Amino acid sequence: MASTTIEQEVKALIADIIEMDPNEIDPDASLVEDLGMDSMMALEILAGIEKKYKIKLPEEELPKITTVNRAVELAKKYVK
Amino acid sequence: MSSKDKKLAPLDFEQIKAIIPQRFPFLMLDRIVEIQPGVRIVGVKNLTGNEWFYQGHFPKKAITPGAMICEAIAQTGIVFFSASQPGTRDVTYLMGSLKIRFLEPVWPGDQMFIEVTPLRLTSSAGIFTAHVRVEDRTVAKGEFAMSAKPNNQL
Repeated sequence: MASTTIEQEVKALIADIIEMDPNEIDPDASLVEDLGMDSMMALEILAGIEKKYKIKLPEEELPKITTVNRAVELAKKYVK
Repeated sequence: MSSKDKKLAPLDFEQIKAIIPQRFPFLMLDRIVEIQPGVRIVGVKNLTGNEWFYQGHFPKKAITPGAMICEAIAQTGIVFFSASQPGTRDVTYLMGSLKIRFLEPVWPGDQMFIEVTPLRLTSSAGIFTAHVRVEDRTVAKGEFAMSAKPNNQL
């Protein structure tokens, strides 16, 4: 799958969960400190990525979802 | 038989109270009729015209508040989580999000069957689907997220 597609899709997915315009999200901004994400939203992002790409991410990966770019890296690591 | 196939015995009202922290007037679960840890649970709430909330909702026509149906879903979710993650101790359960559609009114005399299945379960939280039936009719359905927060972190 094209890397830019994953980037756009994951960003859109996160934007939807944290209720922000995707264009206003700095991909390196801290999801918790800058964008107001809580632990439940992090789980929703994990589950959203799993559902979208039909993959299973280990629970240990959950704390790694700290920025949009980290979430994109995570998705790319598991999407074949 | 894998652990996924394991069904636990149904739970009665007293057994439910030993699991969930809610008490009168917030007990919205009478019985668990089916429980398969990690897979699915079905709870039952019998509604009588004597429920406290019908006094005000509404004085001239008793209809079960959607908020109380959500509470029944949440309590079923707590029993499910507790059975699926049996090591969980000294936590408070917090609803993170809830997206629900109410399809039909629920009246005094109705018996709600509340089915909860996990979309994603971790050791401290979960995202679930909920399906509430009265007889063979779906009265509410949706998704919710819930976490088990250790009391020393609240």
